[in-house]
Amino acid sequence: MSGVSSAAYFARRAAQKEKVRILYRRALKDTLNWAVHRHIFYRDASDLREKFNANQDVEDVDRIDKLIAHGEAEYDKWRHPDPYIVPWAPGGSKFCRNPTPPAGIEIVYNYGQEDNP
Amino acid sequence: MALRTAVLRHLRVPVTGSNQSQIGFLGSIRAFSSHDDHLSKQEVVDRVLDVVKCFPKVDPAKVTPDVHFQKDLGLDSLDTVEIVMAIEEEFKLEIPDKEAEKVDSCPLAIEYVFNHPMSS
Repeated sequence: MSGVSSAAYFARRAAQKEKVRILYRRALKDTLNWAVHRHIFYRDASDLREKFNANQDVEDVDRIDKLIAHGEAEYDKWRHPDPYIVPWAPGGSKFCRNPTPPAGIEIVYNYGQEDNP
Repeated sequence: MALRTAVLRHLRVPVTGSNQSQIGFLGSIRAFSSHDDHLSKQEVVDRVLDVVKCFPKVDPAKVTPDVHFQKDLGLDSLDTVEIVMAIEEEFKLEIPDKEAEKVDSCPLAIEYVFNHPMSS
């Protein structure tokens, strides 16, 4: 009984840790979108890190859930309307621009003029 | 007209398929493409190690190509996220969130960057 609940507890904590990491990653990328100049970005990034570190030692699972929900709401509020996406990634400008042609396709260089090669 | 083409067909030597096998091989290389800068493994290793060494919370003397960020270098999980983001910026990659979770150590990072087709 307690074994099952502790396994569930650890699974929940692991899921929360993963959510926190993903949230931190997205928030950091968002900070970079808003603060393009690096000196401003470093200041904002350390502020963000302080916010995350302040709640580092919370052990109560429900409180952690509420903090994560609060963090995700903040992230949604601050999302940049025009984020920088690497060009070849989905959402970037070069995505699907020049797909590799399917194999076996050749170019016929003298189409219509096979009679005079 | 038909006589002329028949005579020409005899006179002119047709191009045989010996070139086509070459073109079949060269067809994989596109001219004016920007996808041709594939990095060498040593270069990837050097650049990744530089990125890790420049991280302020890391002791540069301890960084080798097979350190684990959390176990060997004593970093936090949030620090790992920061290092992965720095590697993304260095190699102009976009690592999806699920993959970025798994990159936990130097050898994994090097392998990921090396095997990624768009790293530059």
